[in-house]
Amino acid sequence: MTMADFPEPASLSRSKDAQQSSQSSHSIPGSSSTSTYASAGNPLVINTHNIRRPHHQQSPSSEIIAPTPRRHLLESNASHSWLHTPPLSPVSSRGISPTSTRATSPHSHLTRGTNGQQSFGSIMELSAPKLTIVKVAHTSESGMGRRWIRWSHKRGMRSSLIALIFLACVFLKLSLGLGSYSGENTPPMYGDYEAQRHWMEITIHIPIHQWYKYDLQYWGLDYPPLTAYVSWICGIAAHSINPTWVALDSSRGIETASSKLFMRASVVVFDALICVPALLLFSRTWFSTRSQRTQDLAFLLLMLHPALLLVDFGHFQYNSIMLGLTIMAMNFFATGQDLLGAVSFVLSLGFKQMALYYAPAIGSYLVAKCVLLGPANGGRLFVHLALTTVATFMLLFLPWIPPFSASPLLILDPIYRIFPFARGLFEDKVANFWCASNVVMKWKKWADQEILVKAAAVLTLLGFLPSVIVVGKAAWDLKVWNEPAATKVVESNGESEPEGSSSHTQILPLLPYALLNSSMSFFLFSFQVHEKTILLPLMPLMLLFSGATSDSEVYSWGALGSNVAVFSMWPLLKKDGLALSYFSLTLLWNRLIGHDPIKLIYTAFPFNSYVHLFSAGVYAAVISLHLLELIVAPPARYPDLFPVLNVLISTPVFVCLWLWSIKCCVQVSWAITGPLAFGEAENEHSKRSSTTLSDVNERRFSFVAKSDRTRAASLGHARGKRVRRSSTHSATGSATSTAIPPSSSVFRGNAGSNFVEERVRAYPE
Amino acid sequence: MQLDAPSVSETSWLHPSEWDILVLSTVIKVLLFPAYRSTDFEVHRNWLAITHSLPISQWYYDTSSQWTLDYPPFFAYFEKILSIPASVIDPKIVDLNNLNYDSWSIILYQRTTVIITELVLGAALLKFIRGAVDPPTQRVISASLFLHPGFLIIDHIHFQYNGFMFGILLWSILMARNGNKLASGILFAVLLNFKHIYMYLAPAYFIYLLRSFCLSPSGQVEIKNFLALANAVIAIFIASLAPFALMGQIHQLMSRLFPFTRGLNHAYWAPNAWALITAADRVLLRYAKSTGQIFHINMAGVSSTSRGLVGDTVFAVLPNIKPLHTFTITIALQSIVLIKLWFHPTYKSFLTALTLCGYSSYLFGWHVHEKAVLLILVPLSLLAAERHAYFRTFVIATVAGVFSLFPLLFTPAESVIEVIYSIVWFALLYIPLSKRVYEFPKSLSYVILDVLEKLYLGGFIFLQIFVASFPVLASWNLRRKIEESGNLNTSDSSAMEFLPLMVTSVYCAIGMVWGFMRLIFIYLNEDTTYQGQLSTIQ
Repeated sequence: MTMADFPEPASLSRSKDAQQSSQSSHSIPGSSSTSTYASAGNPLVINTHNIRRPHHQQSPSSEIIAPTPRRHLLESNASHSWLHTPPLSPVSSRGISPTSTRATSPHSHLTRGTNGQQSFGSIMELSAPKLTIVKVAHTSESGMGRRWIRWSHKRGMRSSLIALIFLACVFLKLSLGLGSYSGENTPPMYGDYEAQRHWMEITIHIPIHQWYKYDLQYWGLDYPPLTAYVSWICGIAAHSINPTWVALDSSRGIETASSKLFMRASVVVFDALICVPALLLFSRTWFSTRSQRTQDLAFLLLMLHPALLLVDFGHFQYNSIMLGLTIMAMNFFATGQDLLGAVSFVLSLGFKQMALYYAPAIGSYLVAKCVLLGPANGGRLFVHLALTTVATFMLLFLPWIPPFSASPLLILDPIYRIFPFARGLFEDKVANFWCASNVVMKWKKWADQEILVKAAAVLTLLGFLPSVIVVGKAAWDLKVWNEPAATKVVESNGESEPEGSSSHTQILPLLPYALLNSSMSFFLFSFQVHEKTILLPLMPLMLLFSGATSDSEVYSWGALGSNVAVFSMWPLLKKDGLALSYFSLTLLWNRLIGHDPIKLIYTAFPFNSYVHLFSAGVYAAVISLHLLELIVAPPARYPDLFPVLNVLISTPVFVCLWLWSIKCCVQVSWAITGPLAFGEAENEHSKRSSTTLSDVNERRFSFVAKSDRTRAASLGHARGKRVRRSSTHSATGSATSTAIPPSSSVFRGNAGSNFVEERVRAYPE
Repeated sequence: MQLDAPSVSETSWLHPSEWDILVLSTVIKVLLFPAYRSTDFEVHRNWLAITHSLPISQWYYDTSSQWTLDYPPFFAYFEKILSIPASVIDPKIVDLNNLNYDSWSIILYQRTTVIITELVLGAALLKFIRGAVDPPTQRVISASLFLHPGFLIIDHIHFQYNGFMFGILLWSILMARNGNKLASGILFAVLLNFKHIYMYLAPAYFIYLLRSFCLSPSGQVEIKNFLALANAVIAIFIASLAPFALMGQIHQLMSRLFPFTRGLNHAYWAPNAWALITAADRVLLRYAKSTGQIFHINMAGVSSTSRGLVGDTVFAVLPNIKPLHTFTITIALQSIVLIKLWFHPTYKSFLTALTLCGYSSYLFGWHVHEKAVLLILVPLSLLAAERHAYFRTFVIATVAGVFSLFPLLFTPAESVIEVIYSIVWFALLYIPLSKRVYEFPKSLSYVILDVLEKLYLGGFIFLQIFVASFPVLASWNLRRKIEESGNLNTSDSSAMEFLPLMVTSVYCAIGMVWGFMRLIFIYLNEDTTYQGQLSTIQ
């Protein structure tokens, strides 16, 4: 349940205010962007009385109080209350309502409170003696996405925005699907498209025990069972529409327009069923203390990322299912439902074994949480997690397990197919450590296959070890099981699941960085990596990026990383005939996030950060490589010249991202394990709040306080207005507002770096 | 898309939000490069070849392809210009005998030329924002026109150069708004020589320029203005037609431009009045057949139009329609509008009259193609944010008109894409504007009307579901029948093959005719004391 579900008692006064504020927002363009903090994303708060008027307001105040009347507004004033038509401007429109200026006296609050027209939020604000607004970092409106979200919120599309973004993305995905796909018109083997289609064909026509054995030379099934089950569902659908699309053997290489549409639509449908809800929930849970605009923007950016679009809807694969399930697992972790999260992650693993790249991070997070909870609760959680995980795996492999299969050895069929150790260190040109260093040291000549496998394993282990250590150490530092009082509170609050008491997930902000670290180390160092696998490290990077402000470090690294990731797939996309889509979607994405690589190169000197200089250099190399490829044909001696150059440009960026992820892990862990033991302070605070509140507000408030705590603790950016309000309400004037953000800046992009500053600010003056 | 921003400063020539629209639209259009192409694509390629490889005297005589040149001379010159870079890029493009050439180079080239020439439309729409009374709203309208699903479907998938043509038309309208009526007239004359379908709009131009430019408000002839306009228009027609007149080819050219051998309806009935009457004829025929009522049944009409084939439409029950009838009705309706325009020659009145001229030609013209609906929708869009009455008319005409374009694309992927695009486009246009122009209904009858119109608009959802599911259901039905009887009997299914098209056409025609009635009523009865947004600019 989110805050948005909360009942809204003041709809009448709201619509009036909103009308007037819309009038004023026409005349004061500046006001909307300045009060970044006021009522953003919180339908509870309508009257923002205590907010200081921003300084740089340009328009004369007479224009605000008495705006020039317009015809339709005069006419429609009466109609709104009668017809219940929606207000002209959404409540989140940040123009400050003109009524709030005259309603500043406490007396007017009280009178308004009696006739039930007062919002819950205003009660909270009433008791707050003084609210100091710290202006959040300057938000630049440079990106198209941000402009677009702002415009649609102001123009009354707030409620339908998610649906519109979704539909627009479906349109974009299907138009991308008009183009060619992997292996189009290339008999006899075709490509990934044909592989997926072939699996539909064999899963519906062949008994389940033969799935991993049937004609392995022609795209034998080599993904875990969930892929097979999904193919089976798609196959049934295809068979019922047109049996020739999936006829056994005779349909190989079928390329009719309608079968292509079916295949494309199947990706879009599964994406809409799994990945889109996961992303939406992600933006709603992980950014729950941010404004709705930020949440919508994050959703938009995550939906439109070119790398995933190009691979899934251009090249043709179902990566969005695997990524969506992992993101869903993260959402469950954020809300404290660890068991569901574990199930979700196992399903992700069961869809594509590549999700193993995330396993160290997720495993260490879950173990760390058990450590955090102490021997009693943690131990119970550990047992539950273990049982759930094993049970989910059993369920996935059920057809190959004895009661359903003839022999226990049958389980080895899928296992051998899923982990192909017989193949080489790397296949095509891929921007990882092995392939890049292969330019100078010919690994395959130097060493034996077995030694290389072991070396890869050791390097990968070393690669993700830092994040595992950091997560473990953070949990050990934060462990609460030495204090019995706190544990009791935890138990009383954790309603149905004792292990789900989310007030103890302070290590959650570490999770995205740990995911980035472990998946990037797998990508760089592990065995048999494909260039499409860059999608896995890219996912946590983009999740971090989606909430970052454009002047932060995460933004710089995220923009660079995402562009280079798409670039690293260029040889593959070019081969698939997706060159135009590659360029156009990259252009659109950079426009959306307000990132201009060309401008970055121009302004390289004097640079404002090393990331800037590094990005400028990389972009210059990328652009010159593209130009070179357009003009010059590769020399006959080196036909692979351009792919190798591509690898040599991309690999350093990925190595830097890997190092950066380690740095961020350390920073965040330092931020959350700082000197203040805020966990217990918070618990105390919640106990007190439930006793001091009046009967009317008790239920609501305890909910608010709880949910605040949940998010504050889970996400670590409790600096948001809700916590501030609830704490000031519960103990008027007393200095208990120690619901201090462990790392409120984690998702604003500066991992831990301005933490000290915030902590100083958050202390009661 | 930051449309609420204050008006753009003088120094920057493109607002960031306008860049956004440009980038977004270009990305979408580029993604649509591999989409389905109609025969018009080959038509235009053939014209490139004709104009490039033949001397000008042969242009209107060449029959090496069935797609002969049937646009006015300016368009032929335009193709000639386009053929020069084409011959550099790939000489096979301009090879006259290289019929149905569809390599990646020609697709890339022709699709790119559409995008680039459409920038004329973009520039005209930008200029509309610059001098507008209410720039944020005009920006929404301009963006909606630039991203119009009609252009996306007809130009960027089906393939034509409408964006470029409508760019010239809007430029001409813009000149009329800015008071530069001479330029307006000249641009319209140029447009007529690009594509003669714009003759539908010519009466409104003629009356407007005559009354407001060539005559003073008191009725005196402004001889200087008159001569300037007349000479300019004549000069343009000479530039266009003189080469052919000197070669004595005018008759041949006219026979190419105006082929009167076609039927009343196009293959797929454009949703106009004749579609309604044809449908009524079909219904009456069924009724007559089933009840044995005594009608005079024209046996030639029994098998005529229900099959959706190109050819002459012969009615079975109703009296047949001759070209003369269609002209009479069109001109009668137009003259009502033009009389009003004569007495109120303001810009806004002109814009409405222009729309109504196109509208009546579309509804009652001979052999109207559904693509001509853009002639209504584009000028009507400029009126959308006027008052609620205009807006509602615009909504009905747009939904019906855009929906009627859907059958143009029959390939499976494209027909999904066009629907989704249109929904998103419509929502982004409807939600902001409807809140902007909302007016309180004046009486109960307005409320009833409002509900009925909303029901009609809601019906499109069910129509779309029906149209989309019909082929699947039909194939299932067919398969079941084959399984049951064992033999294939196609006569039953093919008779129903055109049912979705017919239903679409009739349902859209209802909306189009109703929109016309609304608009003409508003125009003739509009409260003259009301000064709308556009009226303030003289």
